[in-house]
Parts: sequence; structure tokens; C-alpha cells
Amino acid sequence: MKFAIVVQGNPYASQSCHSALSFAQAVIEGGHEVLRVFFYHDGVLIANRLTAPPQDEQDICADWQSFAAKHDVELIACIASCLRRGVLDETEAERYEKEASTIAPEFVISGLGQLIDATMNADRVVTFGA
Amino acid sequence: MSSILFIFSGAPHTSLNAQEGLDALLMGSAFTECRLLFLGDGVLQLVPDQSGEAIGRRNFPLGYGALNDYGVSKIACRTSDLDAYNLDPGKLLLDVEALDDSACRIWIEDADKVLNFR
Amino acid sequence: MVEKDSEGFLRDLNDWSEEIAQELAAQDGIKLSSDHWEIIHLVRDYYTHYRLFPQNRVLVKRIGDALGKEKGTSIHLMTLFTGKPAKVLARISGLPKPPNCD
Repeated sequence: MKFAIVVQGNPYASQSCHSALSFAQAVIEGGHEVLRVFFYHDGVLIANRLTAPPQDEQDICADWQSFAAKHDVELIACIASCLRRGVLDETEAERYEKEASTIAPEFVISGLGQLIDATMNADRVVTFGA
Repeated sequence: MSSILFIFSGAPHTSLNAQEGLDALLMGSAFTECRLLFLGDGVLQLVPDQSGEAIGRRNFPLGYGALNDYGVSKIACRTSDLDAYNLDPGKLLLDVEALDDSACRIWIEDADKVLNFR
Repeated sequence: MVEKDSEGFLRDLNDWSEEIAQELAAQDGIKLSSDHWEIIHLVRDYYTHYRLFPQNRVLVKRIGDALGKEKGTSIHLMTLFTGKPAKVLARISGLPKPPNCD
């Protein structure tokens, strides 16, 4: 079965990013496919590569990255949500005249069309809310 | 073509989620049949004449007026949520269908996919 | 002279005026005619009413309804506002810079 996963919650104010990752891992372990993970609202904050959590806490951004690399899963962060929250790639940093790109590897900034496309083409859509 | 039911279950200006939910709905409407259901605190988005600008927010609920242009015509809310906030169904920002709990459940069951924004 | 960003969008949307619109259009080599103006006014009105810049399909339909069927086509819009009509039209009309998502 093909799953689309939508992550809306702030990684530091909700359990959303953690639960979604556990769920995504379970999907793969169950022999299913993760079609795409779409980060929206404060969920995009997970894609900030400048975070430096204490060593004895889970580095949730790094864990998403290694999950995506290992299983070749698309991690898409919504462009409009990202721009508001300072998660920028090189192109957007230049477009908005900001000093730095801040997006972590494996994450790709794209539009809401990717959310709709995943929603329509997946067998199941599971949202991890704000 | 799989239809999408958008559920808006949060108040309009508590966070940006409601505003970003409307953005997603408008995008969805370009690709497939989309319906909209206001649930729980979501009915507060239907209170007319709110001014987001006064608290530094965009007055995004004005965008609901454009839903017809975008081809979104199936819009509903739940009667018990209107009652909880003492809202008059005849005096809302939008012309919405008020559903009892079982009709509400049917709306959700009938959708191929559901996206919830709260 | 008003301030513009690197993509030629107004930094302060309150700076917009019809004279400034001519100047913004010149960046794209466009000289504004009445055909341009009726669409600029239409999208500015749309924004005032709905706080939205209409999607292309919605804009085309609106133009057709308001200004006549023969004008309600993507071709008409493309011809008037070269390249990416949504981006160019938003810029000339003094509306917020759209995110690159559609």
C-alpha cells in the first residue's frame, strides 16, 4: 500500500515529527511504500539544518535525513510555510535577499501541488497534526 | 479522480494553520473535487467581520468569498458546533450547510481522502 | 525613485501608483496599454476583495466574465504579460511577491 504522510506539528512543541517518523518506519517495515512526506505549517521547522540539539536528546532532523536517504523517500517542505519560518534553500535565499540557505540535506522545498498530488495518488493519507 | 475533504477545525487567528489550510484547499481545487467541512473551533472562522489586521494578521477569511470562483461549492459545518458558540447559521461569513452528527459522519465517509487543518 | 528588490518587486507595496506601474512594466519591456490596465485593475480589485492573487484558471475566467469572452484566454494574458503572467502581473500591479509554488 502507498502512504502519503503529512506532518504539520512543530518539532519542539508537539510530538508530530517524532510520531510521523516512527509511523513512516513502520510503513516500510510492514512492506509498504512511503510515497512522499509533506511538511506543512510549523512542521517545516524540522528541515532547519542549523539546529543543534543537546547530545543526549534525539536529533530528529538528522533521523529524518537518514531515514530518507536509506529508503529513498521524498521529504518535501512547503515553500510558503518555509519562507515565513526562515527555512530557505539557495534559490529562495537569493530571491528574498537573505544571508544564508538553512535547509537540511534530503529536504526539498516545493509547492502545495506536491501535497495535493501525494494525497490523490496515495492509497492512504496520514496527517500528524499541529 | 479521488475527491478530497478538507476539514478546518481550528480558530482563524490562533495560529497560521487556518490560513495555510485555505491555501491548500485553493491548490487542491485546481486538481480535483474538494469539499470543505468546518468542525469544532473551526466554525469560528465563519464569524463575519473579524479583523485579523488589528492583531497583525492577514484578513485571510476574505478568501472564503472566492471559493465559488475556485469551484468549491460543497461547504458545511456541524450544527452542534454552531450551537456551542451560539452562532446563528443565517449570519455566517459563508453560505454553509449545517449538518447533524450523522450527516457529518457521512460526509467524512464519502470522501476518498481527508486532510485536516486545525 | 521607489525601492525595488532584486526581482524588481516593490519593497513597500504602498509605493504603488499608476506612474510606478509604468516604471515596473518597463523592466519587462512592457508599455502599458488599456488592455493591460483593465487586467491590472481587475487583479487589484480581486486582491482587495479576497486578499488573494487568483490562480491562472480563475483569473482567465474572471477576465472573460468581466471584459468579454475573447479576452478570457491564457493566450491573451500571456501575450500581454510576457513569460510568467502571474509573476509579472503581480509585480506590475503592486501585489505581494508570489512564492514560487505554482
